[in-house]
Amino acid sequence: MRLIGVLVVVFIAAPLVIVVPMSFSDARSLQFPPPGYWLGYYHAYFTDMNWLRPTWNSILIATATMVVTMVLVVPATFALVRHRFAGKSIADLMMLMPLAVPHIVMAVGYYSFLGDLRLVHTHLGVVLAHTCLSVPIAFLVLSANLKGFDRNLERAAQSLGASPVKTFIHVTLPILRPGLIISALFAFIQSFDETVVAIFISGRDAETLPRKMFDSIRQEADPVIAVISTLLFVVVLVALVAPFAWRGLRNRIQMNASRSAPPAGQ
Amino acid sequence: MKATISSLSDRPNLWPWLLLAPLAAYLAVFFLIPLIDVAIMSFTEPRVSLANYERVITGSLYQKVFINTFLTAGLVTLSCLCVGYPLAYLMNHSKPRTAMLILLLVTMSFWTSFLVRTYAWMVLLGNNGPIIAFLRGIGVDSPPQLLFTRFSSTLAMVHILAPYMIMNIYSVMRKIDPVLIRSAKSLGARGFSLFRHVYLPLTAPGIANGCVLVFVICLGFYVTPVLLGSPREQMIAGLIGHQIEEFLAFGMGSAMAMVLLVITLAILAIYHRRFGLDRLWG
Repeated sequence: MRLIGVLVVVFIAAPLVIVVPMSFSDARSLQFPPPGYWLGYYHAYFTDMNWLRPTWNSILIATATMVVTMVLVVPATFALVRHRFAGKSIADLMMLMPLAVPHIVMAVGYYSFLGDLRLVHTHLGVVLAHTCLSVPIAFLVLSANLKGFDRNLERAAQSLGASPVKTFIHVTLPILRPGLIISALFAFIQSFDETVVAIFISGRDAETLPRKMFDSIRQEADPVIAVISTLLFVVVLVALVAPFAWRGLRNRIQMNASRSAPPAGQ
Repeated sequence: MKATISSLSDRPNLWPWLLLAPLAAYLAVFFLIPLIDVAIMSFTEPRVSLANYERVITGSLYQKVFINTFLTAGLVTLSCLCVGYPLAYLMNHSKPRTAMLILLLVTMSFWTSFLVRTYAWMVLLGNNGPIIAFLRGIGVDSPPQLLFTRFSSTLAMVHILAPYMIMNIYSVMRKIDPVLIRSAKSLGARGFSLFRHVYLPLTAPGIANGCVLVFVICLGFYVTPVLLGSPREQMIAGLIGHQIEEFLAFGMGSAMAMVLLVITLAILAIYHRRFGLDRLWG
């Protein structure tokens, strides 16, 4: 069992590791190990509008998707977690439905639906579609956080005379902040990575990065993809490791601060 | 007294509806209508008839693609299980630091885009890639074509979907009380019988979760089979895309999409009745 486990680690790690040296290659095609190293493809990526435009489109679309998703999901999550009402289980199911439908089916639907609305090949069209796909993920993260919320904290605030609105702003929101941030981040990533719907509806004008990568891999396997892969990979690594590093750093700073400064009252 | 209580609880509370209304309206317009569009097109394009379904169900090409898709999804699910179970076991039985590192690796793989991982397999399995070079090195004169075959797309899908399996199994395995294992051992359970009678039943919920998730995602997989697979052995999603992009055959594309949708929902509905859908992605 143990030996198989180690082999599996290699199997999982190898494809993640290989794109990094590839991105520094000076070969014109896919060749590994690369014959030599240079930064040419990084230069190519950062100067080529054919790559920068889709990158920018993706950031724009993912940001808009995140905002719309959160505006819709936050109130709905409060309704579903904190209230009991007829039809609640159907509403719960409805929230998860977009996750259950294969993306290719949605792609066919959006191609025709957004085509009728003349929104196909527009940023708005992609945002409208991506929001549906981001809703379940944002909802799952946020509802898990909200279920673990200790409502006695709100009751305490209200018993001390805070109005419901004040309680919400000064008690509920600050406690939920980590959950809200993670939920929004998931919505962003879902849109940023979404490929299938984008392939069919984003067209040339609203072309997203995954669509451009898909086309490029299908046609010529441009080594610039290795550069983008490496960059995305680094972003993921930083996002995963940063919270730990930040916590460690903060603890150290706090320790230093508490050592040097007398514990005075505020 | 009784009357006041019942009238209080009978009074509909409007708050949840108000909070829910914007999202419900949004999903009704931008999620349900496009889906209904697909359903309608499957019956009306190019003209009102059942001809599209007839062709999907009886046409030999379509039957072949459906069977191929099911076999591939089954193979990928089984492979993910064979890959995921030992790894979850290894994580559960190594030092916290090692387990943490493996978990970080699996999470990284999970968060790395499908496309990036598909591209990486293209490099690994390509004719100028390390695996072919290795085969040449050990004396295989004419190494087999690896890329653009069923082998390459299956392998890449296993790699892409394995994190779902690993995380599902690991999360139940971590909760197994070590006392149970120790007492089973003290009662003489060893090796396979320990696995068969203790580990397997205790991790069954995680296995079920992982298998359903991997199978369902695999059924509708578009990107990896299209990029890495053999053009002669398409999967359903690839064929749907092909109908739409190449032939603008919305009727056929929609009919196949509906069949795929019904199969997917049926599997999830069975799962939902037994376990509840919200646990699947939890």
